[in-house]
Parts: sequence; structure tokens; C-alpha cells
Amino acid sequence: MAFIECRNLTRTYTKGSTTITPLDDLDLDIEEGSFTALMGPSGSGKTTLLNLVAGIDTPTSGSLVIGGVDIGRLSRAKLARWRGENIGYIFQLYNLVPVLTAYENVELPLLLHNLTRGERHKKVAAALELSGIADRHDHFPRQLSGGQEQRVAIARAIVTNPKIIVADEPTGDLDRNSAAEILSLLRRINVELGGTLLMVTHDPKTTQYAGRTLHLDKGKLLEKAPVAEAGSVALHELRPGGAACPE
Amino acid sequence: MSGMKFVPLVLKTVIRNRRRSLLTLGGVATAMLLFYAVQAMQQGVRDATGKTGDDTKLVVYRLDRYCPFTSNLPQDYASRIARVPGVKNVVPVKVVVSNCRTSLDVVTFRGVPPESFDRGAFSHVNIVDGSIEDWKRRSDAALLGERVAYRRGLKVGDRIDISGITILVAGILTSPEPQDQNSAYVHLDFLQRAGENQVGIVTQFDVTVTDPSLLQATAAAIDGEFRTDREPTATWSEKSFVARAASDVLEIVNFAGWLGWGCLFGVFALVFNAIVLSVQDRVRDHAIMQTLGYTNRLIATLIIAESTILSVAGGMIGIAAGVAVTSWGRFSLSVEGLSINIYAGLGTIALGLGLAAMTGILAGLVPARQASRRDIAACFRAV
Ligand SMILES: Nc1ncnc2c1ncn2[C@@H]1O[C@H](COP(=O)(O)OP(=O)(O)O)[C@@H](O)[C@H]1O
Ligand SMILES: [Mg+2]
Repeated sequence: MAFIECRNLTRTYTKGSTTITPLDDLDLDIEEGSFTALMGPSGSGKTTLLNLVAGIDTPTSGSLVIGGVDIGRLSRAKLARWRGENIGYIFQLYNLVPVLTAYENVELPLLLHNLTRGERHKKVAAALELSGIADRHDHFPRQLSGGQEQRVAIARAIVTNPKIIVADEPTGDLDRNSAAEILSLLRRINVELGGTLLMVTHDPKTTQYAGRTLHLDKGKLLEKAPVAEAGSVALHELRPGGAACPE
Repeated sequence: MSGMKFVPLVLKTVIRNRRRSLLTLGGVATAMLLFYAVQAMQQGVRDATGKTGDDTKLVVYRLDRYCPFTSNLPQDYASRIARVPGVKNVVPVKVVVSNCRTSLDVVTFRGVPPESFDRGAFSHVNIVDGSIEDWKRRSDAALLGERVAYRRGLKVGDRIDISGITILVAGILTSPEPQDQNSAYVHLDFLQRAGENQVGIVTQFDVTVTDPSLLQATAAAIDGEFRTDREPTATWSEKSFVARAASDVLEIVNFAGWLGWGCLFGVFALVFNAIVLSVQDRVRDHAIMQTLGYTNRLIATLIIAESTILSVAGGMIGIAAGVAVTSWGRFSLSVEGLSINIYAGLGTIALGLGLAAMTGILAGLVPARQASRRDIAACFRAV
């Protein structure tokens, strides 16, 4: 059984008499520890799929089983707790809380865990360090550049050591250099922390880092690469200097 | 999971939205200051007019007269009153007020025979400075109630002219009775000779009865004694006497009570508005927190905590200002020579803070409910 299993996954929105189906009867398996890139034209349902996997939206029909848990059947409160333990979400527009400093933003998800102040501090410091933004820990989001904000957002997504990290066009709003840095950071995180990474991107170059690339169109997967061929790439291939990632 | 670790988070949201928080706090503080002021007046009214089971004081006044200038009784009624069964002692009193208007700083002169201090009529007062002996020795000596002395900045040995009556401060007294606190006790004949010479005429008799249960019966007996005299009397318990004389003020104070509740409603509207706006402003922040794993209930609790903090902090500032003003000024509302202290005790402070907290919780409920019911994914699409 795959780590993430979508079966006949469908999401529809009804507005008045019109019904939109951003995700239509999707079947998809994603392996634990893999790096999957998700591509497709605007409006093809990428964000919808990400939101379902992240548990901030619920399927209209079909099933979504993650790590053996059918998350479509969890109550709102249980789903919230499940997110806190399993999901790190990285947004295109960073979505930091503006009244909190970088440090406090990263600490925010940890407040939900049973940790002492000291333990939280260790984790926050490590996440900021790994994201390369430790020197800006006391800055507010408005005092940071886009690339720096995204680093803080990444630190916040990884600080709880979630099993799944979803990223929705994380470099979409950044200049080329920052985008490249953020991308290699995400790849490093996938390798070093071993979490499952699901990332929406428009940049074809990104896909060379990913073990597998999915194409969505009008709510359906265009090509479904066979699991043997496109499953998770062995970790050693992704290590810096490894064959899969010339740098 | 301990809730305390979220407190800094809420405080940061309050402190770092500085302008909004300051405006809200300012509004809440002003409204709570007014609320406290109204409560303080009502407390004063209760202190001055609230009857208790062990009241032993009666006031004998001229029948159908309502003010110290027109209530004139022969001083020699004193000996006849003293013979009425149930009467413990009688003090003939002449009352002159420094200011006929209703004001916050009136001195009520009470002329009493010097020997009344030896006869137990003033056993409840306490001389904190100077002495009764000094007061007795000089005909123009005055014993000042502490509030009068405080408001006028007077000390023992000071000589002062208050609306044409020149007195020498011989002592300062404290007393649980609001009327004593706002009076200047002088010699009866000194006051009778001041202004128009009215020797032998007094305003009222202050009577102490032997037992609280005898209050009504003794009052009736005294009035019976003088019913057919040229100057008939009307005898009241001291508390009802104040309530009757100050009835106009009491009406205003009771009306002000409504203003007090209006202030509370103002606090509610203000905090409600501030929280509704700030929750609308932070739709995205709350969606982020929910994405991070915060439950609806936790988000709602944080919002209610925020509105409670705003309204309690504002309440504390307003009430502290109210306490400061009333204890620095020690104002008393005076009507017809009777005083109503503007002061509220710990009970009122606790009531104010409790109501502020309740108002804060109520004001946070609706926005909290709204915020926690939003669809997370839709929140991100909206921005
Ligand atoms: N809450 C919603 N209500 C109505 N329509 C929605 C909602 N969320 C998404 N959609 C629609 O679903 C389609 C797919 O959206 P999305 O998943 O964001 O696409 P992508 O991320 O690939 O650009 C779009 O047409 C969008 O307008
Ligand atoms: Mg999208």
C-alpha cells in the first residue's frame, strides 16, 4: 500500500446552478520519502489536490488514505490535529503571520506540541539554521525579501518534522536566483529529513530534481507513469554531487 | 496541553497592533471611568441613606420644612426631648452651609454645645489630630471632618474664613458617618451669633436612642410631644432624613445609574467592533494557523482571550483613573447641608473589572465563532 493513496478522488464546488469539478475521479499513489512535481495549466486543479492532501479541504467523493488514515473521514478537530503532526505547507505567497517575527512564525506550529520552551527553541533554531535564515530570526516579515520570507516559511513547514511537505508554486513569486536557492533548499530537505515532498511548479527545470512529475489537466492526470519507472528516486541519486543533480 | 504558552501569542497580537489596541483601550478606559464614577455616586447614596438594623440616630426637624435656613426650633426643646422614653441623648444642632448650591465642595457648619462631646453623642468619632479640649477652650474653634480638611488643605492651628465665618482649626476627626466627614463642628452659640443673631434657635436635634428597635416608636413619641406646640416637629431616622432631603440628587444619581449601564454597553460595542474588524483583517492569519494544526476551538479561544484582555486592561486603566480621582479629590455631593461621598470601595472595583471581563468575553464570542467556521482553503483563495 502506497503512503498516499487517492482513489476516485473528486472535489466539486457548487456555486448557484454551476458545478465546477477541479478534481475529477483521480487515482494516484505517492510513495513515502518521494519528491513529486505537479504541473499543469492554471485552473487544472493542482492547488485543489494539494489542499486535499494537506487536509485543509475535504473530498466530495472518493477516498484519500495517508499513512493508513482515511483523512476524509476525520472530524474537523481531529483533522486539525492530524495536520499539525503530519503536514508542512509552503505557499506561493509565503503566508507568514505579519505581527510575528521570523522566530515566532516558526515557533507557531510548535506551540501545539507538548514541548518546553527550551525544546521549542532548539527546534526553531535548527529549522532556521537549515533554511539558512537564522541571522534574521528577530525580523518581521515586512523587513524581509521574498526569498527570505520563503525561507522562514520553509523553516515553519519543517520545524515539526512532518511526514509530508506540500509546496504550492514556492518559487512562483521569486526572481531566478532566489528561486534556484529555494529549490535546492527544498531538495536538500527532502533528502536530509526524508519527508515526502509534493510540489506544484510551472518551471520545467524543476522537474529534473523531482523523482516523478505529474501532469494535471482539467482535474485529470494526463500521463500516469508506471510506478516502477517513476516511483521515488533512490536518495543517493539526489545527494549534492550525485548523478541526478548536477550543480 | 497547557494554555499558558498561548498567552504571549495573544499579547503580541494586542501589543503589535498598537494603534488599534490603544484606541480601543482608550475608549474602554474612558467608558469604565464614567461607569466607576456613577457607581461611586451610587455607593455614596447607599452609604448615606442605606438603613441598617442597628441605626440609632434620629433627626428632629421642624415639621414641613426642608432646608436648614427654614427649619427653626427652640433650643429648649432639648430638655423635653431628653425626657421622652427611649432617648439616650440629645444634641441641639444649628446647621449653616458655606454654599447653597449643590456642589462638590461644601462645608457644613454644625454648631453643637461643647459639652455634647462628653455625653456620648459623638462616641463614634475619632480625633486624629488636635484635641477636644483645645476645641472646647476657644469659642471660634472648629473640629473638621477629614474630607473637609483634606479638600481645603487645612491643618490644626489654621485660621480660615469660610463664607464669612472665621474659624480656628482645633482638631480633625474621622468617622464612619458621611455627614461627620464633611462637617465643621463649631460651638453652638458661636454659630448662632454668626450672621443674624439667633440665640436660642437651632435647626434640628440629633437624637440617639437607647436601642435600634426603638427608633420608630421614639420618633413618634417625640413628634407627639410637640404636636400642639407652635413649632411642631417631624422626626426621621438619620438615613431617611438624608434620603428625603437629597431626593432630587438621588433621582439624578439613579438616572446616572442608567448612564453607567450605557457605558458598559459602549465598552461592548467598542470591543466588539475592534475585534470584528481585526478578525476580518486576519482571516488569512487564522487560516494559516488552522493549516498549521490549530483547531477551531483554539482559534476561537484565542480571539475571545484577545477581546477579554482589551476590555479588562481598558477597565483597569479606567477604574484606576476613577479611584485616583475620587481619592485625591475626596469629593462629596452636598445638598441642604447633607453630604453624599463620591467614593467606591473594593466591591465596586471588583464589580467593574468583572463586568469588563464579561463584556470582553461576550464581545469576542460572535467574531470567534465566525472566524472558526471559515473554510480554510477558501480563505487563501480570497486573498
Ligand atoms: N472554493 C472554490 N469555489 C469555487 N471554485 C473553486 C474553488 N476552489 C477552486 N475552484 C476552482 O477550481 C478550479 C481549479 O482550481 P485550482 O486547484 O486552484 O487550480 P490550479 O491550482 O491548478 O491553478 C478553478 O477553476 C477554480 O476556480
Ligand atoms: Mg494554484
